[in-house]
Amino acid sequence: MASLDELVSSVFDGRVGRREFVRRAVLAGISAPAALAFLEACSQGNQANTGGPVHLQFMVWSYEVQTIQDNIKNFEKNDKNVTVTVQDTSWNTYHDTMATKFTTGAAPDVAYSSDHWLREWVAANWIVPLDKYAPDLASQKSEWAPYALQGMTLDNHVYGLPYYADLVIFIYNDKLIRQAGFSKPPANWEEVATQAKALKDKGISQYPIDIPMKKDDPWTIEIFYSMVYSRGGHLFDQGNNPVFNAAGGEAEQALQWLRDAYTSKILDPAVLESAEPDVVKTMGAGQHAFTVLAKYNLAELNLGQHDQKGNFKMALMPGSSNSTVGFVRFYALSKAAADRKHAQAADQFLQYFGGKTNGQYVVAKRWALDKGLGFAQLPLYDDPEIQKAINAWGNVDLEKQQAKVAAPKEGLTPWWGTWDVYAREQIGSALAGSTSPKQALQNMATKWQSLKH
Amino acid sequence: MSARTDAKSIWAARGAGSSTAYRLATLTPVLVLVAVFTLFPFAFAAVTSTRQMLLTLPDQTPFIGLQNYVDVLRDASTQNAIRNSLVFTLLTVPCVTVLGLAVALLLNQQIRGFGILRALVLLPWAIPLVSAGIIWRLLLHGDFGALNGLLLQLGAVHGYVPWLSSPSTAMYSVVVAHIWREFPLPAILFLAGLQLIPGEVVDASRVDGAGVWARFRNITLPYLKAPLLIVLIYETMISVSVFDLVYVLTGGGPGSSTTLFAWDAYATTFTFLNLGQGAALSFIMAAFLLVLIVAYLRIVRVDEGEA
Repeated sequence: MASLDELVSSVFDGRVGRREFVRRAVLAGISAPAALAFLEACSQGNQANTGGPVHLQFMVWSYEVQTIQDNIKNFEKNDKNVTVTVQDTSWNTYHDTMATKFTTGAAPDVAYSSDHWLREWVAANWIVPLDKYAPDLASQKSEWAPYALQGMTLDNHVYGLPYYADLVIFIYNDKLIRQAGFSKPPANWEEVATQAKALKDKGISQYPIDIPMKKDDPWTIEIFYSMVYSRGGHLFDQGNNPVFNAAGGEAEQALQWLRDAYTSKILDPAVLESAEPDVVKTMGAGQHAFTVLAKYNLAELNLGQHDQKGNFKMALMPGSSNSTVGFVRFYALSKAAADRKHAQAADQFLQYFGGKTNGQYVVAKRWALDKGLGFAQLPLYDDPEIQKAINAWGNVDLEKQQAKVAAPKEGLTPWWGTWDVYAREQIGSALAGSTSPKQALQNMATKWQSLKH
Repeated sequence: MSARTDAKSIWAARGAGSSTAYRLATLTPVLVLVAVFTLFPFAFAAVTSTRQMLLTLPDQTPFIGLQNYVDVLRDASTQNAIRNSLVFTLLTVPCVTVLGLAVALLLNQQIRGFGILRALVLLPWAIPLVSAGIIWRLLLHGDFGALNGLLLQLGAVHGYVPWLSSPSTAMYSVVVAHIWREFPLPAILFLAGLQLIPGEVVDASRVDGAGVWARFRNITLPYLKAPLLIVLIYETMISVSVFDLVYVLTGGGPGSSTTLFAWDAYATTFTFLNLGQGAALSFIMAAFLLVLIVAYLRIVRVDEGEA
């Protein structure tokens, strides 16, 4: 191997061309592809070590990929030492795609991740702590919203830089409820059912409520959490033991409410095949009046090309506590990047994407202005440009009020991701009437215990 | 080059072919490829299926023998997936076969313009499964599906039907989409078989007064025995291992009503990150498919013997 090392050095010194390198390597008993692969691997290491251009692979879910590419172009203009290729896959299949990439040696350097999967990805050794590999990024955490920081922290290590942080909110079509004779949005779930029934009876909407409940849509579980939180309930205790299966508890009430809404046909019967984009489309078309979605969808509904554009408002999550889920999606640094010695390049890249450039949160601000994405970087709330933009489609004060009572998801453990998929299946079964809400919750608790052991 | 030189070259080649070095040189690349792409993954999966291999516990992978097999076979989700796969297979295989045969019989008519139709009939089969799934999802969606729009305009329904949201209709929806995607291949195989039937045999039967049904039963069907067997076994294998359509159309839902065996194996591996149990499920499915393949090979061999 020593002679091969010498050969490699001579290639980098320019004394030997790639063709000559392969010829000599083959003579030394190494196959041509192996020699080329070795050369490629050495060249990557060499780039990282000497500070030459490093190529990063960036994995995202398919949301506004053109904007991401534009952001990358802007970054590359400022930083000639790092080039970035972005690859995307749908949000619904993101977890499984990433699991495949990480386990088959095709791990990207930087990837979107979520508080959903933090513990699982850390346990599987797929991502590394930012405070160890990019300490300057993690040091900005004092400016992040507490629930967002909590969602990216495990065992006192920060594993992510916020991509966006947002709330699950209750959205209603103000024009439609006024048509039905209501002057204010529902304050609890019983009122939601009452108003929905009135809209249905008056022929304003055949199915006034639509909520994404498609089995493979990860939003389903966050929405269910929010519906339990807003009733003042919990899903897990502080020791991560399930409490959602308590007889007559808030989780059972929430699931029974969904089932009742489904059978009384105030909830769209197509909810089990509707993912987030489907619901945005049908709400925008005026088919439904009430939904529960991530807050940024309010911007899309009020600013996008929709028939009912401008008629949508947010209300505090109906219920006694008005609580909801606050969540964070973040940029994670893969272990593969650390192994490839790409951590420094990734640090530069992430500084632009999630941190500050010339004292400004450039990319986070762009997302907030262009797409209405929420942010974890609290100083952005004081930015007049952002305040004006949010008020164009939402309500800054109400958003702040909702954020105050928001809470991160409970029970986040390494096995939570597995349980989540099973839980979504059980929620779907209860809605469709294949099992009772009580039994579905009991099955979810049994699954949790079996995964825990 | 003369004929004499050609013969010499062939003899020279034959001489080379009998040498051990020549055999090794030609066989080794093939054996290496088989070892790398078939034997190694197979052996790796076999080893994986006998270990506790959870990706969230990467440092704890003890040997547990056949425990993964026992666990998955006892698991209610797997039992449900097996039940669903059986129902799916029992519904799709006869339908695909009968529809394929009917289309082949139709296309076998000497009618002007049927040449183009023969090419067009292959279209669903040529469409990638994932694309087919997306097309069917857009057709069947309970809020904006084109099928609902059509049925509503025709007055066949009073409101949009959530085909993919109801456990009772979701399975049938996947079945219909699968039949649509699969029937062209049997149709073309049957058509090839039909075109091998000697015209004089059919003419003679007509002269003898045989009706349509008698001709079909006594002439057409016996001639189609070989393609029929191939279609039945091939389509059974496809139905047992179908994955893409479920992946795009329903994601196994609502609840677990369209969770088929291959989907269960996928979810166990990539969603639940349990590689050990996922490998065990894959082996169970592979064993079942192996039985079908052996049966297929035996039938084809018997058929060749008969010929």
